[in-house]
Amino acid sequence: MALTWPENPRLIGTKIPRVDGLAKASGRAKYPSDVRPEGTLFAVMLYSPHAHAKIKSIDTSAAEKLPGVKAVSTIAGAGTTLRYQGDDIAAVAAETEDQARDAVLAIKVEYEVLPHVVTEHQAMAEGAPEVFKGGNVRKGRAQSKGNPEEAMGKADAAIEGTYSLPVITHVCLEPHGLTAKWEGADKLTVWSSTQAVQVVAGELADALSIPVANVTVLTDYMGGGFGSKFGADVWGRTAAELAKKAGRPVKLFLDRVQEHLAAGNRPSASGKIKLGATKDGKLVAMIAQTHGTGGARGGSNFPLPYVYDVPAFARTHNEVFVNCGGARAMRAPGHPQGCALMEAAMDDLADKLGVDPLEFRLKNLPAGDFRTPIHEGEVEQGAELIGWREKRKPRGQNGGGPIRHGLGMALHQWGGGGTQDKKVNCTINPDGSVELKTATQDIGTGARTILAIIAAEVLGLKPTDIISNIGNSSFPPGQPSGGSTTSPSMAPPCLDAVTKARDAMFKKIAPTLHAAAEDLDLKNGQLQVKGGPVMGWKEACRKLGMASIAETGSAAEGLASVGVGGCQFAEVTVDIETGVVRVKKIVAIQDSGLILDRLTWDSQVYGGVIMGLNYGLFEERIMDPDTGVMLNPDMELYKLAGASDIPEIVVRAYDPPDQKARGVIGVGEPPTIATAAAIANAVTNAIGVRVPEWPMTPRNVLNALATASKEGKA
Amino acid sequence: MREHDPKNNGGPPGHSRRDFLRGSGLAAASAVLTGQATAALDEAGAVQEAGPKVVSGEVEITLKVNGQELKATVEPRSTLLDTLRNRLDVTGPKRVCDRASCGACTTIIDGAPVYSCTTLAITCQGKTIETLESFDAGEKGVPHAFHQNDALMCGYCTPGFVTACKAMLDKNPNPTLEEVKKGLDGNICRCGTYIGVLQAALDAAKAMKGA
Repeated sequence: MALTWPENPRLIGTKIPRVDGLAKASGRAKYPSDVRPEGTLFAVMLYSPHAHAKIKSIDTSAAEKLPGVKAVSTIAGAGTTLRYQGDDIAAVAAETEDQARDAVLAIKVEYEVLPHVVTEHQAMAEGAPEVFKGGNVRKGRAQSKGNPEEAMGKADAAIEGTYSLPVITHVCLEPHGLTAKWEGADKLTVWSSTQAVQVVAGELADALSIPVANVTVLTDYMGGGFGSKFGADVWGRTAAELAKKAGRPVKLFLDRVQEHLAAGNRPSASGKIKLGATKDGKLVAMIAQTHGTGGARGGSNFPLPYVYDVPAFARTHNEVFVNCGGARAMRAPGHPQGCALMEAAMDDLADKLGVDPLEFRLKNLPAGDFRTPIHEGEVEQGAELIGWREKRKPRGQNGGGPIRHGLGMALHQWGGGGTQDKKVNCTINPDGSVELKTATQDIGTGARTILAIIAAEVLGLKPTDIISNIGNSSFPPGQPSGGSTTSPSMAPPCLDAVTKARDAMFKKIAPTLHAAAEDLDLKNGQLQVKGGPVMGWKEACRKLGMASIAETGSAAEGLASVGVGGCQFAEVTVDIETGVVRVKKIVAIQDSGLILDRLTWDSQVYGGVIMGLNYGLFEERIMDPDTGVMLNPDMELYKLAGASDIPEIVVRAYDPPDQKARGVIGVGEPPTIATAAAIANAVTNAIGVRVPEWPMTPRNVLNALATASKEGKA
Repeated sequence: MREHDPKNNGGPPGHSRRDFLRGSGLAAASAVLTGQATAALDEAGAVQEAGPKVVSGEVEITLKVNGQELKATVEPRSTLLDTLRNRLDVTGPKRVCDRASCGACTTIIDGAPVYSCTTLAITCQGKTIETLESFDAGEKGVPHAFHQNDALMCGYCTPGFVTACKAMLDKNPNPTLEEVKKGLDGNICRCGTYIGVLQAALDAAKAMKGA
């Protein structure tokens, strides 16, 4: 019989506190950065103070002689080109962190400082210094459909807008890094703050030329990744090398400055977009030139057109290289940028057409697409909750006085979905303990908890009865925590493993109960025979005798799916004298198939919205063009929302029966996509002019008002 | 002088400018000025007599953490946070910004919430240091309220929020939502758990009253 999710679940879909929540809330949870095996040395990185330089010479001899220093590792030798501030040079391991810091200062490096480009403006200037040979601008593959020039000719109205979003950094609260401990010459254990234990294990094995079976990566907990913690990284490999040299465990976690500079960022995005529609509100064409920078790594492309059906379009994208740390995947890579640009242009065009931007959006959803009815249902629900039809006024008609009020909205989409090659082990022991094992990890979404919920559902137990053992690379293959793929990859093999283990148990103990295996069932901690409870769970397990039941589960058809929509609405006030934006309310409607834990699901959606609010209002990496350094590599001037910045947030799951029937999809990425777009549209609605640059800081708002006033528009 | 002299802590408080000024009334302004000068002279004299208190290299100190007297070897520059984490394995408080911006390192010193990342360990001798590991983890405690409200995701900021919340509720057992927001504004969460955090603080206030 095909495996299915229970029709009337007792636990699945309800609000269940996470199984490791109290450990985290009471300071007992041990994160990789908390672990300090006996004899641990502390390592500190030396990184480039320059945006662009060549190492003429490097001398570590003075550092090596300092008290407490046990090992020094040079990463970038003489002749190496450093391409950004924060680029790795060397690392020192010493008895104390203070001693390691002193030793780093004692490393003598002679730099040949080279001319740099740290802003796109600098990089694209004629004759600009090159980050890599071949120029700072690489043309991406042009995308097109139909004949947009000709189609644009049929537009009754068209807008041409230029919009841009800055580079932001991940700001994982636990820095990147690991603690490495060798056991013998070719066996390594590391405690790594990672979102992919098996990727880290593979990378370390490769770098250190030891069998991957001899590398164990442990991540019981980890303090945030958001896409930036998939690998061992240079510093991880260096920590393992230092540990080998010193013959002692080494702990190496980045400081906050290098974390901002080198540990990943979300690329910027800028676009000049021409968008046209007929007077009945149907899009006809888009012509867009976009660019962005992923620092010295690339990866700035993003989806555009986005969500809506644009019958004809032409789009070019230029990758711009600058002397800054490389981009990494960051929560819904590319989508927040594509969404912001598309939705700004959609709003501007709706305004020009003089139509309600909500109706305009609904009119341009792709016909026949599976997401269209989802988006329609979500927009209807969201409009109701924000009061769109009663409260919204056309752009710029939000009264006089300095405080203006506005509403905005945006739609998004995400793929996600699961992989088919992951496994989960389920062991039922004679003492009644149940253990799940798989090499995934909990990045904070509650992965450990959803596995326990599934097992408890099948076995008639409580989630806290289940030992949900993850974060160990030596366990059966598990999914990296990225792209909203963890739940849809791990939930099906978990259901399969536990179901198989239960059935194996029934088969084994049925004869001792003089019953058929098919007559057994598990409910409320009781073993039932033909619907009547006969004994408690533990007593039933004792009937297993000496041998535990152990089963491995695999992916199965029909338990997971791919592809979601989603929409968000924002209500703001803007002080047009100071440029200060206050977000009053955000409504987020999100579909994601079958929800496993409604409590952690809500948290992910709230969290996504708040991360999007940060992107919309506060965050930007600020580079100094003259010195080439980052001006805000901290948590004071790199702005993130605090408790007082949090508006009313209304979260709703869009999960009618047909959505639940799709199975598990995952929700990490989607709820963070549309927020910054919706906020910007609300600001524009409030003040009557487009603020073309994110974030919606007083500076950007006042600049937009000043420009409009010069042009006589406001 | 008490706060500058690690050897003189725990005993009766010495005479200091701060204590003196705190004790004087505005009405005695001239006396204050005279007294201030006297105190300064006293202090200078004391320094001359005993020699400047320069602490360098490694020194052994004793810290009272969660009711236990713990010995640690530190340098004068060692922060309380690094001492707790790297020397004493008290790892509840986390190092995040390391510059008194984010609150993940919050500990309670003599009843007040303090950023331990910018507090020197040697200044904490003789003081009562509480970290969240010592909080009531039962149903009437702050950690329980955080757990039940899912006021945490990755959980790395959580120790700081829980500690700031406990310190706030100890001072103000009946906070309004606005007071909770203000009380927790010294902490930053990246996962975006604020909705749960605010509710947890309100729930914890209720639960503690029932204690």
